[in-house]
Amino acid sequence: MPEIRVTPLGAGQDVGRSCILVSIAGKNVMLDCGMHMGFSDDRRFPDFSYITQSGRLTDFLDCVIISHFHLDHCGALPYFSEMVGYDGPIYMTHPTQAICPILLEDYRKIAVDKKGEANFFTSQMIKDCMKKVVAVHLHQTVQVDDELEIKAYYAGHVLGAAMFQIKVGSESVVYTGDYNMTPDRHLGAAWIDKCRPNLLITESTYATTIRDSKRCRERDFLKKVHETVERGGKVLIPVFALGRAQELCILLETFWERMNLKVPIYFSTGLTEKANHYYKLFITWTNQKIRKTFVQRNMFEFKHIKAFDRAFADNPGPMVVFATPGMLHAGQSLQIFRKWAGNEKNMVIMPGYCVQGTVGHKILSGQRKLEMEGRQVLEVKMQVEYMSFSAHADAKGIMQLVGQAEPDSVLLVHGEAKKMEFLKQKIEQEFRVNCYMPANGETVVLPTSPSIPGGISLGLLKREMAQGLLPEAKKPRLLHGTLIMKDSNFRLVSSEQALKELGLAEHQLRFTCRVHLHDTRKEQETAMRVYSHLKSILKDHCVQHLPDGSVTVESILIQAAAPSEDPATKVLLVSWTYQDEELGSYLTSLLKKGLPQAPS
Amino acid sequence: MDHECARLLPAVCAVLADPRQPVADDTCLEKLLDWFKTVTEAESSLLLLQENPCLLELLSHVPTLQDVSAGVLSFSLRLAGIFAAQEDCFQYLQVELLPGLFGAAGPLSRAVWAVPTVRSGWIQGLRSLAQHPSALHFLADHGAVDTVFSLQGDASLFVASAAGQLLVHILALSMGGRAEGHTCPQGDDWPTCAQKIVGHIEESLCSTDTSRVTQALNVLTTTFGRCQSPWTEVLWEHSPVLGSSDLGPWEMTAQALSRLGPTQAGPLALGVLKLHLCPQALRTQAFGVLLQPLACVLKATTQAPGLPGLLDGTSEDSVVADALLSSKSSCVGLLCRTLAHLEELQPLPQHPSPWPQVPLLRAVVTILRLCDGSAVPASSVGGCLCGTLAGCVRVQRAALDFLGTLSQGMGPQEQVTQVFAILLEYLERPDSSPMVLKKAFQATLRWLLSSARTPGCSGLGPHAVLFLPELFPVLQKRLCSPCWEVRDSALEFLTQLSRHWGGQADFRHVLLESEVPELTQQLLQDPESYVRASAVTAMGELSSRGLHATPTSPEQPEAQQSLLPEFLHILSADSEGFPRRAVMQVFTEWLRGGHADVARDTERFMATVLQVVSRDLDWEVRAQGLELALVFLGQTLGQPGPHCPYTVTLPKAAPPSPLTEVLGALCRVRLFEFAFRALFDCDRPVAQKSCDLLLFLRDKTAPYGSPWEAGGSPDSASVEAALQRWQAGEQGQPLGDLEPEAMLATLRSIDLEGLRGTLAQGSDHVEKSPQSLLRDMLATVGILQENQADCY
Repeated sequence: MPEIRVTPLGAGQDVGRSCILVSIAGKNVMLDCGMHMGFSDDRRFPDFSYITQSGRLTDFLDCVIISHFHLDHCGALPYFSEMVGYDGPIYMTHPTQAICPILLEDYRKIAVDKKGEANFFTSQMIKDCMKKVVAVHLHQTVQVDDELEIKAYYAGHVLGAAMFQIKVGSESVVYTGDYNMTPDRHLGAAWIDKCRPNLLITESTYATTIRDSKRCRERDFLKKVHETVERGGKVLIPVFALGRAQELCILLETFWERMNLKVPIYFSTGLTEKANHYYKLFITWTNQKIRKTFVQRNMFEFKHIKAFDRAFADNPGPMVVFATPGMLHAGQSLQIFRKWAGNEKNMVIMPGYCVQGTVGHKILSGQRKLEMEGRQVLEVKMQVEYMSFSAHADAKGIMQLVGQAEPDSVLLVHGEAKKMEFLKQKIEQEFRVNCYMPANGETVVLPTSPSIPGGISLGLLKREMAQGLLPEAKKPRLLHGTLIMKDSNFRLVSSEQALKELGLAEHQLRFTCRVHLHDTRKEQETAMRVYSHLKSILKDHCVQHLPDGSVTVESILIQAAAPSEDPATKVLLVSWTYQDEELGSYLTSLLKKGLPQAPS
Repeated sequence: MDHECARLLPAVCAVLADPRQPVADDTCLEKLLDWFKTVTEAESSLLLLQENPCLLELLSHVPTLQDVSAGVLSFSLRLAGIFAAQEDCFQYLQVELLPGLFGAAGPLSRAVWAVPTVRSGWIQGLRSLAQHPSALHFLADHGAVDTVFSLQGDASLFVASAAGQLLVHILALSMGGRAEGHTCPQGDDWPTCAQKIVGHIEESLCSTDTSRVTQALNVLTTTFGRCQSPWTEVLWEHSPVLGSSDLGPWEMTAQALSRLGPTQAGPLALGVLKLHLCPQALRTQAFGVLLQPLACVLKATTQAPGLPGLLDGTSEDSVVADALLSSKSSCVGLLCRTLAHLEELQPLPQHPSPWPQVPLLRAVVTILRLCDGSAVPASSVGGCLCGTLAGCVRVQRAALDFLGTLSQGMGPQEQVTQVFAILLEYLERPDSSPMVLKKAFQATLRWLLSSARTPGCSGLGPHAVLFLPELFPVLQKRLCSPCWEVRDSALEFLTQLSRHWGGQADFRHVLLESEVPELTQQLLQDPESYVRASAVTAMGELSSRGLHATPTSPEQPEAQQSLLPEFLHILSADSEGFPRRAVMQVFTEWLRGGHADVARDTERFMATVLQVVSRDLDWEVRAQGLELALVFLGQTLGQPGPHCPYTVTLPKAAPPSPLTEVLGALCRVRLFEFAFRALFDCDRPVAQKSCDLLLFLRDKTAPYGSPWEAGGSPDSASVEAALQRWQAGEQGQPLGDLEPEAMLATLRSIDLEGLRGTLAQGSDHVEKSPQSLLRDMLATVGILQENQADCY
């Protein structure tokens, strides 16, 4: 039975890291290869031993597809390819290919800072891994091999994020990765055509939420930043090098321009140029507004945002600083935070979630007295704000996408179980399709009915035509023939032709039935009586009495025999071919009623 | 458990026991368990429970909760298991608590059992507690083993696999305990648990349900795979199913090898060949299984009779031929697996001997030819293979890897020529994928190096001498490839080649005749930073060998343009880290090797480089700067001692100059300032490296005493003030020109050992501590984590 199998190793009823195995028509694909930021040992990576236990990874997997550059979707990639040993192709979009190594390097730094190099990938590994990447364009059908093809669709969310359609023959699966159905300041909305996949695997982060417009959050953000610098405070915004940072930069840049503000804005990583370079390079991936204004002014060429030098942190007066890393793990952002934390005029804005085990997590949970190295205590007097700028589809958006793609079934990943449950019911009710939500390690098996093309022989068609029946599109009708499989092709032919082509001889299948009669006479006489009886009843049939004593009615043969143990009983053996099944049954039932009394 | 944790624990337990308080971060419970595991390793669990009654309350309360969260329930199961691993604690808990968690009345019978996390927690809990004989009785009394049996077929891979592991563990525990002391338990003496498990395995093996058979086989594989104990032998001998009376294990393996299809037989054959004590006949059979697919390929393509094939004289295995011909995916899969198995086998000491090097080489070359369409099929099977393999990247990758491995054994002249020919074809092919090209480069390097190692051959060896002039035009072409991956692999190949052969006249000649050095130099401006970095490394290597550009005149081979200014420019101007890191690595190598550009004025070189590096935003560049400084110190002060973590091998330096002179030089190149600043770098690895360097410097200067002591205390106040500013994270002005004595005094005033201790801990050690974890868990209570899913 052909089937599609889906097993999440990550993102099954959780949002930690995405890694989903899909088998479709014998092809095995890994969707995303993410890392869990909350662990600093091997638990941060998906447990690949479930793939490797039965032989080499490269033999098992046909390809890996990465939906976008966030580490919970691509962070385990160098580990998987260089340390576990996958050396097949890895597909991602061009912007993802460009940005992925920057974020991997960024995270490598944090990991080494925490624990040293132990069991973590090196820069060389990141490079070797990136060499295995095959970059794809949107809407370009990429042939992974003769049978497996993939196609990317725009997903919004972050620069270069894509949804992927995976197709083998007539079977297909769409994986959304993370997506956003409403355009934001620098990216457009996700879009997919009515591709009617067998299965749509969709993220469900905001499965139960209808999000307010992003405008409100943006206004709120600008207001808070503005108020702080107005009263002479400093604003720290910890970010990862790419993604949210650029979005917030555009926001501030435009606001500064409009309000004619002079307070300096700095970007600390040293990656600004590079990051902005990519946004310029991949301008086609951004939204229409940015593309339109690009002619007059490149949105990513910031007038007000300058590179940060460590010395600036001590400058008096207000300023806004974007610093990495994003969760105040270590490094520059943490250093600046320590410096500014004691002043209540200052503010730190966390634009995303922070995992446990980071200073970011602590201050977001309201802790204001932080233990630092060497038993020192840092009192946080500065204001702490959390603003989510994450760009995921909300419940409405997810339903919208399901409606767009019209899948046969839906599978939810990248969300919490309880929220998924709610959305699952909603999808099942509204679209009347099955919706699944496997936990990590659970396999969902979907039977599919593949369409197999078959030919029909001309002879068979001509024979139908000869019967005077012309084919009609609206009136299907039965056509009898023999389906033969030869050279991997299916053909419907007449049975005679099938025999000929396959070099087979025709066999006859006969059914034989015993009918017991009470008759003391000799067998020949019994046979004679049967003959006369049938002859009298079956006027339209050819009934014959053969010289050997047997009786035939068409192809049906009747013989009389005497069982040795009881001379008063005779046994009639009635035998017929399956074509004459009806007549055979009729005769048997007739004879079972007994013979008419012989005229004395 | 420390006092602070004990103080926080009751509140945390209360939060966990309250279903209205969801645990905000899914990693917290996992980390909490990690902590309890460490605690119970050091302390008595029983004491721990008695001193912290909140734990027992939590464990007894959670299973009774109606709307308990699956995560907390699973956590409780695992925690109880951790405590019950100690026998006295087990006794303490087993009356009420353990049955309530692991018995039939526990989560097993409730709706929440449907959540895989709970089942997984149940198994992991049992796995932890099954450490002593009492645990075995508990398992038997509560029917736990039967539940584990059923969980072997669980819908969750994780649960099913853990259930299998648990069975093996229980079996080992129950058998192992008995087997110690006296020989081995026989048949009926087996402990109940073991009898039950073995009975179940036997029953499963006889089942018609394949998944059950697989589960049983998995358990057996794990059992025999890792237990070398005598009892496993008993198991083998006395089980009617396993040790069927008329067949020993070897015969069974032989039967399996002959009956299994090629896909399944391959791994088994490889396993057999890895065994040390195994009958020769079985080894031969197993090797035959591995060679069969390649034998088929050879047979299908051999033109000239008389060439030795693989497995000549044996009948062809029609099943293998069918697998090769039935479909593309089966053919590709079988060949890739076969090549991978042979690749794994070849370097092992126990690999079959004699090793059929010649026919294997022929087979791999043939496969590569089939893939690139240059093979001529000799039969219809060959024709079919041609069609299937043409352009198949997967097989190309596997074959090139194996070909590289085969370089260890070389081969007859003519065949080596063929190998180089096919490698050249692959390097030349315009449509080779970057990954295939990379592997072709790697295989070529291995063959070149092996061919030069042939006994009785001096220099590069005859093959390489003939091959190199053909190789370089191809390399040139690849350096100009539009694919950055290809340009980069070509540069990496060039670097390796020069590293090995930079001193060989033949190599130098061919290289300098070609345009490779110029092209490499041009790649210093490549748009892709990875390529620029590799170009820097390659040029650095070439330059060390005096090969980086064609000499202007043959009379003056040394008159090459210096690369130093260009590299310094990259170091100060390249916007990306990789090329700058590469420059620093090259500089370090140059300094070590006494490169002319550096040796001309080492002080100036050091001063310039350190100045540029100290401003670099990339932590690895700064760390590399410290590495360079360390080499410099080693050369001026003598090798770092064994206590230094950096055991660099340095050329014999000139006898150390008088200390004052050396310190003067260190001040002039501003090494002190560079290292002091780095000591308070916001990136820990940099600070750590600087700390090690300063310790080395301090130790090296200590024996000399302080030459200035007589002259009164030096003026180190300004240095120390600067240090304090740097420590506070301020940048401040650079230090002025200061005297060595001030530097030395400052160096001696810093608590470097203390600093090293602090830096040795991860930068998140405070946030990672159990106290911090418990505080975090308490702090998140009641805070609505609206978008916790949002990782960025």
